[in-house]
Amino acid sequence: MASVWLAVLALVLAGPVPSALARARWPARVPRAAIVLWQAVALAAVLAAVGSALAAPEELLRALGPQQRTGTPLLIAVAVAATIAGLIVLRLAVVLVLLGVRTRRRRARHRDMVDLLDRAERSATVGSPGARAVLRVLDGAVPFAYCVPGRAPRVVVTEAALDTLAPEELRAVLAHEQAHLDARHDLVRESFVALHQAFPVLVRSRQARDAVGLLLEMLADDAARARSSDTAMAGALEAFVVTGDTEVAARLERVRTLRCGDRRLATGVYLTAAAVVVVPTVAVVIPWLSAALPAAGLQ
Amino acid sequence: MALGELERAVMGQLWAAPGPLTVREVHDRLERELAYTTVMTVLGRLAKKGVVRQERDGKAYRYAAASTREQLTASLMLDALGDVGDDRTAALVAFVDRVGPEEAAALRAALQTGPAPAPAAEMPPMPQVPQPRVDGDERAADS
Repeated sequence: MASVWLAVLALVLAGPVPSALARARWPARVPRAAIVLWQAVALAAVLAAVGSALAAPEELLRALGPQQRTGTPLLIAVAVAATIAGLIVLRLAVVLVLLGVRTRRRRARHRDMVDLLDRAERSATVGSPGARAVLRVLDGAVPFAYCVPGRAPRVVVTEAALDTLAPEELRAVLAHEQAHLDARHDLVRESFVALHQAFPVLVRSRQARDAVGLLLEMLADDAARARSSDTAMAGALEAFVVTGDTEVAARLERVRTLRCGDRRLATGVYLTAAAVVVVPTVAVVIPWLSAALPAAGLQ
Repeated sequence: MALGELERAVMGQLWAAPGPLTVREVHDRLERELAYTTVMTVLGRLAKKGVVRQERDGKAYRYAAASTREQLTASLMLDALGDVGDDRTAALVAFVDRVGPEEAAALRAALQTGPAPAPAAEMPPMPQVPQPRVDGDERAADS
C-alpha cells in the first residue's frame, strides 16, 4: 500500500496543494514562512514520487507469493523501480545544472555591459548601497531598479529612477535590492524555475514559481521597510507601478495596509512545513521498510 | 587604474567619435598617462566581448562601437526584464520591478533607431545553449 499512498500524496502535493496555496491570501502576512512551506511542499512531492516508484515493484512481488520473489523477477522489479526513480531525480539534476550554467554565463555578460554603460559621475554621488554590491547607473527615461545577483553583485538603477525618487525612497529601493542579494533570493527562485522547467505539465509548478517570486519581492520589501520606512517604500513602489501591473500593485497595497510580522501564524506555517516533509516519512515509508526488508531477507 | 574603468573610458571615446578610430587616436583622446599597448589590450578585450568592431584600414586597424550607447542600454534593460527571446533563464539574471508593456515597447523601439549597425552587432550576443522550449506563454501571462 505504501506505493499507492505515496503516489496519491505526490499527486496531491503537485496539484491541489499548490493551487490552494497560490490562491490563499495569508502568505502575504508571513512571506518567509510561506516560502519555506512552498519549498517543503515541492521537496515532499519529489520525495513521494521517487518513493512511490521505488516501493511499487517490491510490493507487487510480495503480493505474488514467495516462489516468484527470487531470481529474475526480483531483478527486473528492482531495475524498473530504480529507472523510474532515477529518471525523476536525473531530470531535475540535469535541468538544475544546465540552468545554473546558463544563468551564470548570462549574468556575467550582463554585469560586463552594466559596467561599461555606468554613468560613473551619477553612481558616485549616490554611493555604495551595501558592503559588497556595487551601484551602477544607466541612462534612460524609464524609472526602474534591479539587481544582478552572483559573486560580484550589482545594483542597477536608471537615471530616471534617481530623478524621480526622493532620497528616502531611493534608500528604500537600494535596501530592497540589497536584501535580495544578501539573502541570496536568486537561489530560491532558481530552484523553482528549475522545478518548472523539469516538470512543466501535469504539476502546478508554474503557480509555485510565480507565487514564490512574489513572496520574495514582499520579503525584500519588508527588509527595506525595516531599514527605511513604510512611507518611503510605498512612495518608491508608486514610482514603479504602471497600469495593469497587478504584482507591484499588490505589493503597494500590502506595504500601505499591512503590518509585517505575525508570529503565531508564522510558527504555524513553519510547523506545517516540517510536518509535510516528516509525516509521510514516518507514517508511510518506515512501516513499508519494516515490512519490505524482512520479506526480502534483509534485516 | 582599474581595468573596468579603463574599458568604460575607451567606450566613451568610441561612442563620442564621429567614426572608427585607430588605437593611436583612442590613446590620444584619453586624457591619461597610458601606454599605447594598454589601450590596444583594452580594445582587444572589448572586441572579444562583442561591443567593439574591428575594421581593417590599410595596414592599421580601426575600432568602432558595435552599437550606440542608447541601443546597448535598451538591449540591456530588455535583458534585465527577461524580454529577450523566449528564454526563461533571462528572468533569473536580475530581480526587477516590472515595466509596463508600453515602456518595454519603447525600449524595443530604441533598439531599432539610430544609425543601424550590422544586424549581428545590434544585440550583443548572449551565450545561447540549445534547450528544449518548455514555456510558451510566459510573457503573455505575466504582463
